[in-house]
Amino acid sequence: MSELVIENLHVSVGDKEVLRGFNLAMRGGEVHAIMGPNGSGKSTLAHALSAHPGYRVTEGSVRLDGEELLTLSATERARRGLLLALQQPFEIPGVRPVDLLIAAGADRDEVATRMNEEADRVGLSAKVLERFVNVDLSGGERKRAEMVQLGVLRPKFAVLDEIDSGLDVDALGAVARRLSAATSEWNCGVLAITHFRRLLVELAADVIHVVSEGRVVATGGPELAEELERSGYEPFRVAH
Amino acid sequence: MENFTTSATSFLLEHAKNVVRHDAWSAFVESGLPLTSDEVWRYAPLGNFALERYQVAQAPGGVTNSPLVDALAAGSGRVVRVVDGFLVDAGRDTDGVEVSVEESVDSLAGGSLLEHYERDSFALLNCALAPSTLVVRVAPGAHVTAPILIVYSATSGASFPRTHVILGRGAQATIIEYFEGGRDGLVVPLEEYQLDDNASLQLVNYQRLDATAWHVARTTGFLARDARLVQGVVGLGSHYDRSRNDAELRGANASNELRTTFLGAGDQVHDFRTHQLHLAPRTTSTLLSKGAVADSSRSVYTGLIEIEKGAKRTDARQTNHNLLLSPAAHADSVPNLDIRENDVMCAHASSVGPLDELQRWYLESRGVSRADAERLLIQGFFYEMLTALPSDLAQVVEADVTDTLSRVAVVAP
Repeated sequence: MSELVIENLHVSVGDKEVLRGFNLAMRGGEVHAIMGPNGSGKSTLAHALSAHPGYRVTEGSVRLDGEELLTLSATERARRGLLLALQQPFEIPGVRPVDLLIAAGADRDEVATRMNEEADRVGLSAKVLERFVNVDLSGGERKRAEMVQLGVLRPKFAVLDEIDSGLDVDALGAVARRLSAATSEWNCGVLAITHFRRLLVELAADVIHVVSEGRVVATGGPELAEELERSGYEPFRVAH
Repeated sequence: MENFTTSATSFLLEHAKNVVRHDAWSAFVESGLPLTSDEVWRYAPLGNFALERYQVAQAPGGVTNSPLVDALAAGSGRVVRVVDGFLVDAGRDTDGVEVSVEESVDSLAGGSLLEHYERDSFALLNCALAPSTLVVRVAPGAHVTAPILIVYSATSGASFPRTHVILGRGAQATIIEYFEGGRDGLVVPLEEYQLDDNASLQLVNYQRLDATAWHVARTTGFLARDARLVQGVVGLGSHYDRSRNDAELRGANASNELRTTFLGAGDQVHDFRTHQLHLAPRTTSTLLSKGAVADSSRSVYTGLIEIEKGAKRTDARQTNHNLLLSPAAHADSVPNLDIRENDVMCAHASSVGPLDELQRWYLESRGVSRADAERLLIQGFFYEMLTALPSDLAQVVEADVTDTLSRVAVVAP
């Protein structure tokens, strides 16, 4: 079983330290959710894990199956099995999804078939995948397209950065079902950053982490999400 | 060492009866080569240019076939071969198309060549030293579907190809002009395209000369009412690649689309000039220039849109995007407008910058290597230029661009 361990992670954006000693451990097949108010560092975590150039790790460790990821490039991290799905995936004019996936290591002979299968599973028209990467796609289509990449690339861990924001109920259901299936199909671990409980219900999250001021301030089962729904983040802010 | 002057003089002696040649030569001798203090030549490495090194071609060299010529010929209906400015093969007969050589001294603009090009030193050299004018005529109403390929090979020294393309009323054709060879040479094409009423020409000037060559080209389209010129200029070769592409929109509703694509490496200079002259109402010009410069190469795009009084409801746009693939590479973009009519639509946009770091990161975060991410982004950058080319040609050019890119180092700023 794969294991992702984040220890004492400190990350700065510009001069500002956003993550201040973030800890989290999870295994393949599990669904963990990270919830927290705006500015608490949720998105910073996602971007730092994938070596976004705007985020500087100053301290800490991220190990995947015992191997330190922080010394590796974005490419190598992805190839070790960590894949980030973005809230606002980038448009890449002139580049077709199939070419992206082949360059990312997908099997050249099977990639087209696999893309169509995955598109079908998340209710995305295969025609959309003939357009350039994310160009002229609606918000919902982009997120479904991210799921197609995930389904083809089959990472050990998927980090979802607010992929539920702006999705209608149908799209949310499709994305959540695909992720849930991934946890059993290849023991994919899912780390979902979200504002909304809805995704967690659909995903059947195993563990909820509440983040405030750049670190985890509470960890619990699904009941924690319900508590957040009732009380908001304020009690957790005070708690730390 | 007086190679150029000696060979030019002996060439002119053989054409002693042609007054225009002699006048053009005299005009050149009087004005001399341009200087970099002259604004339109300021980006040319004229300091390294020694005209006397080149010997004027007196006869065509041998014809050789390159893989690119074979690939282009495979998709063409007729292949015309010009070597060192001399027509050596007019290709097989094609319905509606006539290919000939003429001792023409007039510009398709009307008036003599000399009048038209009097202030352009290199064009004057062509007026004096072109062996003859290659004339491609497409009959009125003829719809020539298969592309006509004109291969210009330069085997040595200085050559001065001159070409006139004339499309009769309502004619349609696709012409691909391909330039290759030119090792240590100077190639100075002078071309004119006349499109009569409602004629439509898709034209590609594909320059793939040797990296040591100097290429100084000038093309002008003369468009009558409802005529349409779609011109693609692809510059991959030459040490100094200068391409001036003008269009005069003389008849109402005439339209000109011009796309210039270039890729610079080593110490290449790509110098693109355009001049779109709108003389009639409801004329349209759409210019898109997209290029990438690597290593210590440089590029400049200078475009002038000129709209005469009375050219009402003209729509003119120019866009220029430059990709810098190394900190030592440099690109300049100079769009100019000269508008003497109020009722017009005019727009220009330009950008110069490196590959988008976040787009690259996005690809890398999927597991794409940095080199592949850069290759994908550069190919993506050129994609819209390639799709505008005839499809067989697009594949050839894409492979050519990819091959060139594989030998270029992308260095982050």
